[in-house]
Amino acid sequence: MVIDCHTHIQGYKGSPDDPPSLKLRRTGRTGYLLEFADRLGIDKICLSLGTSRDYYPTPEVIAESNDMVWAEAERYPDRIIGFCYLNPRYLQESLAEMDRCIANGPFRGIKLWVAIHVDHPNLDPIADKAAELGVPILQHTWIKIAGNLPDESEPRHVAAIAERHPQTTFIMAHSGGNWERGYKTIIEHQNVYGELAGGDPEMGQAEMAVRLLGADRLVWGSDAPGRSFASQLSKVTGADLTEDEKAAILGGNMERILGL
Amino acid sequence: MIVDANANLGNWPFRRTSYNDPKRLLERLARVDIDRAWVVSLDAVMYKNVHAANAPLAEMAAEYPALMPVATINPTFPAWERDLVECKESLGYRGVRAYPNYHQYELGDPAFDDFLAVADDLDMFVEIAVRMTDERHHHPLCMVPPVELAALPDLAAKYPRLPIMLINAKNTDLVPLIEPTEGMENLWFEMSHIEGTGGVEQLGRSLGLEHILFGTHAPYYYPESAILKVTRECEFSEEEQEAILYGNAGRLLASAGP
Amino acid sequence: MIVDCHVHPTSPPDQMLHYADRMSIDKLCLSLGPHFIQQPTPEQVEADNDFNRRLVEVYPDRFLAYANLNPNYLEHSLREIERCLVDGPFIGIKLWVAMRCDHANCDVIAERIAELGALVLQHTFYRTGGNLAGESSPADLAALADRHPQTTFIMAHGGLNWEKGLKTVIEQENILVDTCGFDPEMGYTEMAVRLLGAERVVYGSDGAGRSFASQLAKVYGADITESEKTAILGGNMERILGL
Repeated sequence: MVIDCHTHIQGYKGSPDDPPSLKLRRTGRTGYLLEFADRLGIDKICLSLGTSRDYYPTPEVIAESNDMVWAEAERYPDRIIGFCYLNPRYLQESLAEMDRCIANGPFRGIKLWVAIHVDHPNLDPIADKAAELGVPILQHTWIKIAGNLPDESEPRHVAAIAERHPQTTFIMAHSGGNWERGYKTIIEHQNVYGELAGGDPEMGQAEMAVRLLGADRLVWGSDAPGRSFASQLSKVTGADLTEDEKAAILGGNMERILGL
Repeated sequence: MIVDANANLGNWPFRRTSYNDPKRLLERLARVDIDRAWVVSLDAVMYKNVHAANAPLAEMAAEYPALMPVATINPTFPAWERDLVECKESLGYRGVRAYPNYHQYELGDPAFDDFLAVADDLDMFVEIAVRMTDERHHHPLCMVPPVELAALPDLAAKYPRLPIMLINAKNTDLVPLIEPTEGMENLWFEMSHIEGTGGVEQLGRSLGLEHILFGTHAPYYYPESAILKVTRECEFSEEEQEAILYGNAGRLLASAGP
Repeated sequence: MIVDCHVHPTSPPDQMLHYADRMSIDKLCLSLGPHFIQQPTPEQVEADNDFNRRLVEVYPDRFLAYANLNPNYLEHSLREIERCLVDGPFIGIKLWVAMRCDHANCDVIAERIAELGALVLQHTFYRTGGNLAGESSPADLAALADRHPQTTFIMAHGGLNWEKGLKTVIEQENILVDTCGFDPEMGYTEMAVRLLGAERVVYGSDGAGRSFASQLAKVYGADITESEKTAILGGNMERILGL
């Protein structure tokens, strides 16, 4: 089974003046995404964020975003797995949203973006609750040479929170972008997974991750629709790895993490 | 038949790459059924005297008929014109690449205009490398912005016989070119950096599929990326797919002259 | 014969000659003085020239000298040429960093040097980050040499950033390049011979600030023929100076 751990709802809503080349994007929030997933043999996609790209979304925007994902997950229950978006600056609202979407809803993971560094104390109760609910935290990470956004997490922030919460599973989205540094940061942190989504298809990435972390600590994702499923899949299909290792990265590990 | 219009040989200063000699590169590309590759020397990018890489590359490629070497020239460095003539007339190069960003000039620089004029006279084709790697994690001592392409349509119009090929251009570089380059027959777009779900199909149709060239950026990138985009992700007719995979490359070469 | 076309009297002369002997260097061409002054007054120019003249007089078989000039003082420069070259033993002039050599004052000086059949040793750098205000680049020298085809110039240091420097002066047949004053980077002498021909390359060290050994290595270690090495080490300077 191939599971894409990292996809989003298209931020652009479409306009009647769009050229025909954008037609697909108007036919539905994720229907077209699944058409492309079919062409590449992807069975399930983990979906998060709504159409807002605010760095610091309010609880209302968060709820609206999760409602959009919820609707898509209900429309395609065999294909779409919802990840619950949170802004941990609003701690009580975040814990309540976890109850609404995960404890009492169909969501199977948490998605954190750039609202706050993930090692902030607000994350401690959220990480504990994620462990209780048995869901992973998918945290965006990047190391930008010209400087990150003010509250954009780096791999070292994930390493710090993961050390405080050994029972919680963290997926380090994009592996920091600067992946040679990212993977080396989390070698010792057994509850952190490397993740392949969203960078260029640079040779050597998956091989290095498997060498340092083992094939059971790396998961595949695409960051579609901003990225091509094809370019992102090549990071696994083109890697110098065994077929068993590729199968684990493409889906086996996520099956285990999500308890599918 | 598949022609890779964007492959690399040699060393990149910031990452050890495997498959960077001719034999291993061709074996690696053959794993995804790529038969031929146009190759540049990565060493040339950071050389001061870039021409020093041209003779060794030609010599290396001469032993492998599946490789077509592409020269590198910096038109702001003295004696470049004589170097370019040597590339064509002594070393047998048909194409030449420019790195305006690594060599610190803009497309509007008169030196670049001169470069295009000489390449045109020599019946060569020209490649412009818009970037080499993701700007977000360049080496801190070597942060190189992508090439600003606004001057390109006028330059391409000035040399209508000269094939000009953009290498490593991303969607955000290419979208602003759709309108101003409409109908231009001498502009070609290599697709290794076109991203997004169905991106090659959507952007390719906007730019004109007859001017899209298949390219991998191997061994820096996995060649599977470009292959999967063109052969599986995007919905191309058989004719369209063949044009991208090799037909357009053949037409580009034919349009450059003998 | 080995002729070092580019040395400065910055260590005691017997010490310099001691090391020159160890490296079998026969003759050394002096310029500047014990203290490097970027913008010398006429008095300082004369003092340095007098210092070097005394060394030539004491060791006439070993030392030759170029007269220092500061072309900002054009009248004084022309007088100093008369004093040192016409009425004295100097073989040419040395121009350092007081004024870029594409200035009109240097045209007057270059014309006079051509009349005398003497040499111009011109410091050149392509300095990353920008040259000093009065520091000449190979492009400046190429422009001057184009205007004065009868004058013979030695482009010191190959422009430092030598791949660029050498390529700048390919067409200027009246420019020679020396080998001095930068690290013994492999490939320099080969490239100079390839682009300019061995007859346009002359050995120099920039001693005493540089080691004779490190600078000779650029010739001894180069992948060129023995006859090319002989020409560079001394043959070319013998021919030019009529030694």
